[in-house]
Amino acid sequence: MTDPYKVLGVQPSASDEEIKDAYRKLAKKYHPDQYAESPLKDLADEKMKEINEAYDTVTAQRRGGGGYYNGAQNPVGGNRNSGFSDVRSLIMSGRIADAEQILNGVPPERRNAEWYFLKGSVLYRRGWLEEAKDHFSRACQLDPGNGEYSAALNQAMNQRGGMYGGYNPNQSMNGSCNTCDMCSGLLLADCCCECMGGDLIRCC
Amino acid sequence: MFGYVRPNKAEMLVKEYAQYKAAYCQLCKTLGQEYGPLARMALSYDCTFYALLALSVTGGAVRERRARCVCNPLKACVYLEAEGEEYKKAAALCVLLTFHKLRDDLGDRSFFRSLGSRMLLPYVGRKARKAEGRYPLLAQAAAEAMEAQRQAEAERAGVDPCAEPTARLLGTLFAELAQPEDRQRPALERFGYFLGRWVYLMDAADDLREDLREGAFNPFIRRLGLEGKRELAPEERQAAETACNEALNATAAQAALAANLLELENFGPIVRNVAEKGLAEIQREILFLHVKEKPRRELEKL
Repeated sequence: MTDPYKVLGVQPSASDEEIKDAYRKLAKKYHPDQYAESPLKDLADEKMKEINEAYDTVTAQRRGGGGYYNGAQNPVGGNRNSGFSDVRSLIMSGRIADAEQILNGVPPERRNAEWYFLKGSVLYRRGWLEEAKDHFSRACQLDPGNGEYSAALNQAMNQRGGMYGGYNPNQSMNGSCNTCDMCSGLLLADCCCECMGGDLIRCC
Repeated sequence: MFGYVRPNKAEMLVKEYAQYKAAYCQLCKTLGQEYGPLARMALSYDCTFYALLALSVTGGAVRERRARCVCNPLKACVYLEAEGEEYKKAAALCVLLTFHKLRDDLGDRSFFRSLGSRMLLPYVGRKARKAEGRYPLLAQAAAEAMEAQRQAEAERAGVDPCAEPTARLLGTLFAELAQPEDRQRPALERFGYFLGRWVYLMDAADDLREDLREGAFNPFIRRLGLEGKRELAPEERQAAETACNEALNATAAQAALAANLLELENFGPIVRNVAEKGLAEIQREILFLHVKEKPRRELEKL
């Protein structure tokens, strides 16, 4: 069993807070949701399992237990009222080409929102991201209230916005105000105030 | 010199950047040794990345050596040597890709504009055949990909099918770096697939304005509804660049996700820098800062 501290990337002398932060950062990086529609899902699940086990071991050693992130909801679920349950199970077992063949065999008149969603999922897994996004959009258009379809579209749009990699043109590097800036601003204001005989913040 | 797959220098450790440069120099030297001094012109950042990735996957031993630059004897540089085939493969790839790029040029451009390529082709062709003799699988993969791409573009296909051949090529090349039983093979293949796709899309986005002007094929033209336009007004240009950037972001995201799962020795940090930050920076420089159009003085201010 590999050293759990090494897996989490912390020193054995790290504080509980540091352990939790490291775990959160790793869980965010390898979050199963990101890999749910990917052929690398198994590899990612193993990595996540390794991280969870390391975290469990460390917290068990220090106090008693600690909860962890729940597993992924696989967007292409199998137990629902679906007209394409065969396609869904093929996708879940990784047989993308077969799933696509069935989908392509459906005549245009019978292509409903679910068809567009499933075709989009297949395209997404293959790496044809532009067409996948088009299909997800169409699925949401045809069935606006559907959570499954809008979740898929949202993930695609977030990735296009540069949230997981790539450049986000709207994110200002220099102009944003964060808590560090605010806190140091207040400290500075307090200093100036005290210089002039007042006291903005009693405890500083 | 050439290539879009570069690290983000500002976000690297100084020693990592030094390693990157040393690998670049070593690849230059290898190109000269294997294919003659003129072949060094085929040197690219993309193939340097390929060499570093190869070294990180195989975990080969590396050694640094101080010597003189092969091109400029007055400059001292460091070479990052390795025992195995990694640099030779990367050099072969440089030559093969240059050969195919020149051939593409002949097909895409008019006679006079492609005159330079036309004259270089026989020489490069000979070198490419030499590379093929040494690494037949590499050569075959490259040839198949170029043929498929030519076909997709002739059929005026959409963005995804046009990017597919390059994506497949890099996917195959990266997967081939690992042993067949290696559990990382799928991750490597997927990383290669999306990196190849990113390179194709980046090239298409970069060439968009020129292709519009010359009436050449570019998958983004139809995707963004720009058929028939010769010039883009500033707002149109910005809209087009934002749309291209989105496609690139989605691709870079998938590449980064795949790279996350790789266990890399040696130069893992450099590979991750490229995947997570390098690609983004190039997108920013080409699509938003328009670095290629600015004179050198202005670039320093950025």
